[in-house]
Amino acid sequence: MTINRREFIKANAIAAAAAVAGVSVPAMASNLITSSDITKLKWDKAPCRFCGTGCSVNVGVMDGKVVATHGDIKSPVNKGLNCVKGYFLSKIMYGKDRLTQPLLRMSNGKYDKQGEFTPISWDQAFDVMAEKAKTTLTENGPEAVGMFGSGQWTVQEGYAAVKLMKAGFRTNNIDPNARHCMASAVGGFMRTFGIDEPMGCYDDLEAADAFVLWGSNMAEMHPILWTRLTDRRLSAPHVKVAILSTFEHRSFDLADNGMVFTPQTDLAILNYIANYIIQTDRVNTEFVNKHTNFRLGETDIGYGLRPEHPLEQVAKNNGKTAGSSTPISFNEYAKFVSTYTAEYTAKLSGVPEHKLKALAELYADPKVKVTSFWTMGFNQHTRGVWANNLVYNIHLLTGKISTPGNSPFSLTGQPSACGTAREVGTFSHRLPADMVVTNPKHRATAEKIWGLPEGTVPPKPGYHAALQNRMLKDGKLNFYWVQCNNNMQAAANINEEVYPGYRNPKNFVVVSDPYPTVTAQAADLILPTAMWVEKEGVYGNAERRTQSWYQMVESPEGAKSDLWQLVEFSKRLKVEDVWPEELIAKKAGVRGKTLFDVLYKDSAVGKFSLDEIPEDRLNDDARDFGFYIQKGLFEEYATFGRGHAHDLAPYDTYHKERGLRWPVVDGKETQWRFKEGSDPYAKKGSNWDFYGNKDGRANIFALPYEPPAESPDEEYDLWLSTGRVLEHWHSGSMTQRVPELYKSMPDALVYMHPDDAKKRGMRRGDLVKLISRRGEVQTRVETRGRNKPPKGLVYMPWFDASRLVNKVTLDATDPLSKQTDYKKCAIKIEKV
Amino acid sequence: MESTENISDEYHVASFVAYPILEQLDTVKKAILTVEGTEIHAVSEEGKIVFTIEGNSYRDIGSKMDIIRVHKGIINLSPVYHQILDESEKAPDEPSIDAVNVGIN
Repeated sequence: MTINRREFIKANAIAAAAAVAGVSVPAMASNLITSSDITKLKWDKAPCRFCGTGCSVNVGVMDGKVVATHGDIKSPVNKGLNCVKGYFLSKIMYGKDRLTQPLLRMSNGKYDKQGEFTPISWDQAFDVMAEKAKTTLTENGPEAVGMFGSGQWTVQEGYAAVKLMKAGFRTNNIDPNARHCMASAVGGFMRTFGIDEPMGCYDDLEAADAFVLWGSNMAEMHPILWTRLTDRRLSAPHVKVAILSTFEHRSFDLADNGMVFTPQTDLAILNYIANYIIQTDRVNTEFVNKHTNFRLGETDIGYGLRPEHPLEQVAKNNGKTAGSSTPISFNEYAKFVSTYTAEYTAKLSGVPEHKLKALAELYADPKVKVTSFWTMGFNQHTRGVWANNLVYNIHLLTGKISTPGNSPFSLTGQPSACGTAREVGTFSHRLPADMVVTNPKHRATAEKIWGLPEGTVPPKPGYHAALQNRMLKDGKLNFYWVQCNNNMQAAANINEEVYPGYRNPKNFVVVSDPYPTVTAQAADLILPTAMWVEKEGVYGNAERRTQSWYQMVESPEGAKSDLWQLVEFSKRLKVEDVWPEELIAKKAGVRGKTLFDVLYKDSAVGKFSLDEIPEDRLNDDARDFGFYIQKGLFEEYATFGRGHAHDLAPYDTYHKERGLRWPVVDGKETQWRFKEGSDPYAKKGSNWDFYGNKDGRANIFALPYEPPAESPDEEYDLWLSTGRVLEHWHSGSMTQRVPELYKSMPDALVYMHPDDAKKRGMRRGDLVKLISRRGEVQTRVETRGRNKPPKGLVYMPWFDASRLVNKVTLDATDPLSKQTDYKKCAIKIEKV
Repeated sequence: MESTENISDEYHVASFVAYPILEQLDTVKKAILTVEGTEIHAVSEEGKIVFTIEGNSYRDIGSKMDIIRVHKGIINLSPVYHQILDESEKAPDEPSIDAVNVGIN
């Protein structure tokens, strides 16, 4: 059959969509798949660069440029689907203002904090960085050195950074931007289960009878998972969807039970459900008796603000005991939650009793398999760890956990928040595989694997994200390197607590980024960065799936990967520059060596030769260093978790697979953890084994509703919630540079109730000022649109660099997780 | 952020799966077809609509997609595939050498 070129490619397009939808189309359309050897395009797989879903995409390269991407039909995650961001993925690398030269603030040919950005060579950039780092170490010690990293770092980059900071510089002042999105989830997992990350997996989507979304707008933030959820809901009529949020959003379109609650009262609703389960005698007693403990948590723990803040002055337990708890009985727990009656909870939350009851019944009914999803509504919460603990309570009381469809599931926002930030342990208190710096045994394990002397890793947790900004402002953190994030836009209370630190004359701030973000523009030195398939790497998604990709294109001349930057910089520092004499004396052969030798080349990282890289593959980083550095870093890192319930497969396996979910034992991935028969670590005869805790039991916590740090009052009379949109990914530094996405959603608007607008004499499209006690931002009013806030609350996304909503937000954090609450502060709105 | 795309010699085709509210299937189908360059190829038992949009630039396809995406009867719209044909050097009626292996096998 002869068909013309247009018909031919159209047929391919139809065939791809039909396969995704699971329908057949006429033969002419479905049989026209050509083999790649007659095409100009070379296709390869990579995980998507954006969210934590971890879709696999096929990346089409032609003449050294990524020209097409589409959903990978072989991927168990997205099964051929794309979201609108993934659809335009190929364009993120080709923004017109891509950086290709290091830029240093200079006057008269010399570094000057007040100078203009001036192009310099990489050599000059590393010279000035090394000088500033050494001066800082000499004058103020390792505690004045810090780094802010990313859940978008590859696993190898995060691991190399942890080694450089915790072992090289001997500072724990390294934290990822995942602190802003995942820290409360981590805290919840560790407190309830003693081990991090979800027990379930995406297969729960096709097995559940009910879905409950807690502070998650999956339709916009996790569109592919939403597609799978939609598919399940539409193909199985008995399936119910309940959605809770502080405002109505796109996901409500599919809700059987949509609930808008007063901010912070999710804590009360969670306790009400537990109470309902107990009152209606639907506790799974056998499960609870065998597999759980009950504990009463500390209360009145403050709001993670500066110690002199009035709220911290009155908080009774905001010190080191904030996370403590004591054992209680089931009866004591039942009594504790008994105050959360339907009447009380409905009054507090604003959700009608019958809706609350319908929600509770989903969990209570033993025949209904329930999957709970949550993201930032729970995690960005001054009681975020509590919220996580409380949702686990419900699944544990009913035994609805770790079996297909029964799944409390914390979703992630970044492509490797799990893989890099959490599993590698790039947090200020952590080491790989859930270990912590405060534990001497854990430090000893790390030092042994790294081949470094005892006492190398400092025991004191470093500065977390919000504290890093405060310490920069206070002049205590003086050499600071930011990679792969946009914290000047992402951090709360920019005017008071972020910008002043970057511009503090005592500090030298380096920002690595592909684009001139607002963070880069606030730096002293900008390093141009290679991104995504311009390098080789590994990401870990929200369902514990580890996925790798090869470098597919060259980066623009001059741009270098974060990994190359970290490791190349380590050549500029000798052991004597960073370690005290007594530590050097403990280890023969390190004297006179560079950190590059000690941390990378001469360790297990350096043991894989370039011969292992397929000849037809690009790998600029490895070929530059002279060894297969990505494999070396991965394999050394994997040593931490193998045999400790975090087992990863051999590195090369990941190049062949569409990812595997850890623990990978005897070549087999794990779908549901803690369940005998599914998880190889669950002990025989245990049925369920919560082995993260020594006694194999999960903890059910009695924790109350406590009010938020700031609520509307007479003057600041509106709640402000911030968040994301479908079209842009986080701060928009990549997606705002894709013309189609920019056009589709160019500006961040403030969504408000029409009555609230009318009351203030405002109309749709009016220019207004959002004002808080901390700052103000101008934008335009949207009273229709996709988000429909209730009266008294407004919503504004934070993707827009020209309208920084974080100038008005409050830097209150969860005292346990140190994660900022971006969902609640008080503002007023005035017409401009 | 202006696009510099040359739109004159390009042919774009993109395919999608739309997930409508079942009761509104017919309305959604009609709405899709009112957009220029669209064609519906199949509807699954669950009501999933497989359709294509043809146009002359990324922006053109993007705008048409946006019109459909915001329709009240659509719960979800998934873009699946997009290919561009540069017709400045076209050889009509020959099997395309730009055609793509979409990985279905």
